[in-house]
Amino acid sequence: MKLIIDEKAVEASDGENLLECALRHGIEIPHLCAHEGLSAHGGCRMCVVEVDGMRGYPPSCATPAAEGMVVRTQTPPLRKLRKNILGLMMLEHPNSCLVCGKRELCEEYRPTPEKAGRTTGCHTCNNKSGCDVRQLAADLDLTELPEAPIYHKRPLERGTPFLDRDLNLCILCGRCVRVCKEQQGAGVIDFVGRGSAAHIGQAFDQTLLEAGCTLCGSCVDVCPTGSLSDRYAKWYGEPDKRVTTTCAFCPEACPLIVASADGQAISTRSANPFMPLCVLGRFSVAEFVNGETRLETPLVRVGTVLRQTQWKQALEQMAAQFALFTGDAFALVCDNSATLEERHVFRRFTADIMKSTNYIELVADPRGWTNPAKLPQGVRGVISVGALITTEQAAELEALAVVDCFPTTLSDRADFVLPSTVFTEMDGTILDGNGIARPLRAASLPRGAAQPAWQIIAGLSHALGAEGLPYETVESVTAELGLGKISLYLNRDEAPLPARNPALRHAFHRNHRIEEQVSGLLELPPVQGCELPKPAEENQATAAAFDTPSPTPTPANGKFKIVSRAEIVPNTFEIVIVAPEVARKAQAGQFCIVMADAVSERVPYTLSDWDTEKGTITLVVLEKGQSSRKLTLLEPGDCVAHVTGPLGIPLDIENFGNVVLTGGCYGIGAIVPIARAMRAVGNHVTVVTEARSWYLAYYREKLAGIADECVPSTIDGSLGEKGHSMDVVGQRLAAGRKIDLVIAIGCPFMMMLTARETAPYGVKTLAALNPIMLDGTGMCGACRISVGGETKFACVDGPFFDAHKVDWDEVRDRRTAYAAAEIQSVGRTASVAPIPHKHHGNCGCVTDALNV
Amino acid sequence: MALEKTPRQSMPEQAPEDRAHNFDEVPFGYPNEVAVLEAGRCLQCKKPRCVEGCPVNNDIPGFLALVKEGKFNEAAEKLKETNALPAVCGRVCPQEEQCEKLCILAIKGESVAIGRLERFVADHEREHGEMRLPQLPPKTGKKVAIVGAGPAGLTVAGDLIRMGHDVTVFEALHEPGGVLTYGIPEFRLPKTIVNAEVAFLERLGVTFVMDYVVGRNSTVPELMENEGFNAVFIGSGAGLPSFMGIPGENLVGVYSANEYLTRSNLMKAFLFPKYDTPPIKRHKVIVVGGGNVAMDSARTALRLGGDVTVVYRRAMEQMPARKEEIHHAQEEGVKFDLLTNPTRVIGDASHRVTAIECLRMGLGEPDASGRRRPVEIPGSEFQITADTVIIAIGNKPNPLVPQTMTGLEISKWGTIVVDEATMATSVTGVYAAGDIVSGAATVISAMGQGRIAAASIHKYLTEQTA
Repeated sequence: MKLIIDEKAVEASDGENLLECALRHGIEIPHLCAHEGLSAHGGCRMCVVEVDGMRGYPPSCATPAAEGMVVRTQTPPLRKLRKNILGLMMLEHPNSCLVCGKRELCEEYRPTPEKAGRTTGCHTCNNKSGCDVRQLAADLDLTELPEAPIYHKRPLERGTPFLDRDLNLCILCGRCVRVCKEQQGAGVIDFVGRGSAAHIGQAFDQTLLEAGCTLCGSCVDVCPTGSLSDRYAKWYGEPDKRVTTTCAFCPEACPLIVASADGQAISTRSANPFMPLCVLGRFSVAEFVNGETRLETPLVRVGTVLRQTQWKQALEQMAAQFALFTGDAFALVCDNSATLEERHVFRRFTADIMKSTNYIELVADPRGWTNPAKLPQGVRGVISVGALITTEQAAELEALAVVDCFPTTLSDRADFVLPSTVFTEMDGTILDGNGIARPLRAASLPRGAAQPAWQIIAGLSHALGAEGLPYETVESVTAELGLGKISLYLNRDEAPLPARNPALRHAFHRNHRIEEQVSGLLELPPVQGCELPKPAEENQATAAAFDTPSPTPTPANGKFKIVSRAEIVPNTFEIVIVAPEVARKAQAGQFCIVMADAVSERVPYTLSDWDTEKGTITLVVLEKGQSSRKLTLLEPGDCVAHVTGPLGIPLDIENFGNVVLTGGCYGIGAIVPIARAMRAVGNHVTVVTEARSWYLAYYREKLAGIADECVPSTIDGSLGEKGHSMDVVGQRLAAGRKIDLVIAIGCPFMMMLTARETAPYGVKTLAALNPIMLDGTGMCGACRISVGGETKFACVDGPFFDAHKVDWDEVRDRRTAYAAAEIQSVGRTASVAPIPHKHHGNCGCVTDALNV
Repeated sequence: MALEKTPRQSMPEQAPEDRAHNFDEVPFGYPNEVAVLEAGRCLQCKKPRCVEGCPVNNDIPGFLALVKEGKFNEAAEKLKETNALPAVCGRVCPQEEQCEKLCILAIKGESVAIGRLERFVADHEREHGEMRLPQLPPKTGKKVAIVGAGPAGLTVAGDLIRMGHDVTVFEALHEPGGVLTYGIPEFRLPKTIVNAEVAFLERLGVTFVMDYVVGRNSTVPELMENEGFNAVFIGSGAGLPSFMGIPGENLVGVYSANEYLTRSNLMKAFLFPKYDTPPIKRHKVIVVGGGNVAMDSARTALRLGGDVTVVYRRAMEQMPARKEEIHHAQEEGVKFDLLTNPTRVIGDASHRVTAIECLRMGLGEPDASGRRRPVEIPGSEFQITADTVIIAIGNKPNPLVPQTMTGLEISKWGTIVVDEATMATSVTGVYAAGDIVSGAATVISAMGQGRIAAASIHKYLTEQTA
């Protein structure tokens, strides 16, 4: 049928709606709830259009295309309507960054998102680059909101190792509900509650897993906001490449899109919009491929040790040794998890080069486990592709080469260890459970010097002299196999087996237990009757010797028990810890170093308050990385491993006159003791707090009771003055108010702008710097900064410095020094739950818990 | 005689190709029979010069005689009479400059391998024998505070607890050991050894207080006046890293050796992500300096996968590092760019290191240290590409303790001035030793000074009672 959209004649197919038809013809209509592969919902009304002869503004996603229709998608009334709709929608989505006047400068200053628990703005959002709301706000030029936003303070849900769910970002588009219902049959999740209480959830307050979630991740894939996220991948940022290949974790051979950045796989999703993956395909591939212990270089045995070497040397030495075992003294063992190309090369190598009949191809069970081969009598040299013979058999051999991706007890005993690629790193063809050929495409770069096994064996054939096997590329092998057209398994009509049978989640890939690399799998509920082969062939990481933290002599003052912990505003925790030695000496402006557990980083936190009599200190902690996350997850009664302090030079407290203290984020808490001390010596103390929105402002009453004047400011204007704290200071200075001293505590961006605001007036301005520190006592120099051209250590020369002299660009750049490593640290799929800690026996955290 | 013909026994060690990629200790130690053989080489001199060469005056012929007889545990006890940390000293002492240098056998050939045997004896006791507690005298009722759980502090603690005093060690970091823990890498001194030595002191009754910063939690006068300590020993070390003061030193990618090593050793960054502190894993690493700390940094960087070059402004033979350490580093693949002095660190737009600019140096007249002074060759500037620069040119004394007390005499270098015969400071009842007194020196010299300090403290406390 023919119709006209935006004056363009287009043709619609049967059953197509207007939105689909327009998009197919390259006409962009803004939409949120509609999504490829999902039924029309008509819920968000963002895709409204005008249709001649129809009243009002019908949603294009729910309006079937009809012969002769005349449709307009971009009229001024439509734009206005959409803007209103988006404005209302954004009231329930953290939006202050979207309406912030300093957004561009801020984002330039903050190149990587803060790895917060909850997202309270774009600066802490893992989906910043892929957010539909953010994009629409930009497209529709939305910079003002009709009224103050609503924040439901819903708990951050971390109930599964793979999915984080923060419903405070949810715009109720229902994509997740539909994808779950339409792909899984029975919807695990649904809309729960009505009106402003409506949210996405499970019936009867069940957890996701209790409600039958198979961890297919489809909901994450369709979510237009950062509300649903993939815990492993979330902080890697935008992938730079996507390649479609086939999942080789099980015989189901699901089509897989592998997203990578700089050649490193970061996440996977189904290539079939109508068929979900299982937890292995969706959440385990990237973490497995990126496994810490991957074999990266060829190893050759010299005496009792395996020594690293180059491919050329390894293959030459191997050739020299294996030349002694031609004929049936040689065997090659592989299994059917290898690609067809690999197996073809192995077979030809064994027969044509080694002149042996001992090509042994084993069959892996559905969980990817292959029992060891039986070696024929007289075999003296073996190449095992994977750990496919026993170590006892290995002991009988004269030469053993192991081709594998991870070390095993077998590779430990081998004479040659040759690192091989994992399926996302190679081209080739595998057979699915029905014997149909499926394609593998290299989607990420090989780890280290790893090579596909066919290439290793072909290389060996050349090293053995003569002609060798005539393969330069994998295509040349594929061509010889004459496989015809090989296509992805896109027309599946049932979810993959491991999604239906949880026992299959505890699987192996080429005899490597997937759980060894993907710790989150271990935390899934145990499955009855699931007996696994003993992972005897699995090797422990060489680092195991240092696995347990070294014993620390019992600290005599080690009662670092948590008295209370409260999330006072989203992501911001007030933690009271027993630390009498710190409380006894604390002064305004000082900080302490905290290690949440024995393997934590040492992180500085400003002392927000202390009680000398009770021997407690109060910290205001923002969750924004692995170490602060560990700290904020401790419960009252738990013990922090280490607290050292008070550190830093106390602030100079004297009567300056009019003192203005500005605080943002953790800085609001840090202001408390300073305000108190400054007022006690006769200053007129004005406190200006800044927060993105009303629901992020805290300590208002506490500060009002301490300072002479308390001025809140919010970026969205929902509380106090609209703007940032330095805007308030600037306005007052411009109005001629006499200010003698400004002290700014917050993120470097806020402190830098404060310095810019006060500089023209020559008002003395101090900034509290707490950059990355290690010891906090002047020992390492990690915290060095330039102040007036001189290098200072923030820990012992600070934390307070003249804000007009600080080199702020340097402060900014030095903060991002470890950004990449932090992502690796925070992205582990291990459970995010209170961490168990070692009981020293004297910290009292168990026996004294009731006395708190 | 047959014994004289026995050559100095070598100690098996990991091959350079292997150890360049792991953090396991390099040498494996002597097997029992080799230790007996080596100990048998000792001539049992009447006036043993080796003992004079030892800063703590270990009874070297005494323990060697016991090893020769196979009495390994007795040998360990003999050593522990004078040395609180034999397993540590056997590994990190510069024996070639001390006991072994004075060994009679060294005149005509090779000295007895005293260091290796010391290590053997201590390891054997730890791994096999019961570390038996010595008989302790009755308590004197005197309390001594030790500031810093490094080599000096541990030595003083070990001596004083054996003299019947109450000893409390205060340590600012979360692990004891000082430089043994944060500075010396696992492959040179496994931390299990430091922990075992500390555990032994705890069994003797020494109290360890971690996370306690003297100068912040309590000052030295407060320890004496409010906490009832009769004497204080300051062994707070030389923890403050020196930088060169050249442009670009604050770029991302420039680290003090202290930071680089502390991350790896104390925070166990090499086990990231099992431990949360990320390591500094880069490709092209420049280490500036020629001491043991520079070698430790270079070898750590190598193990973390880097291509490592040591840049030093003098010549190889003038390097202050132990010959063995330089040799190990070379074997493992560390490169050396000698007579080269960095003048500038160069970075990109995001303040990350991309290269280091250096000047070639020639050798001029000898300076105060007797080494020929390096002289710049004008116009010889050149650049070396790098993504990491580690500054290992030395440390200064930590000022925190001296800053927070009055009446303590300090030198112009920030070290505490002491009477070298007693290690007494200008404040009555306060003693000091180790790097806070001598600047940056060796573990064993700190221990030697510590022994003197412990004896003086004992004398002071005894006289106080009388």
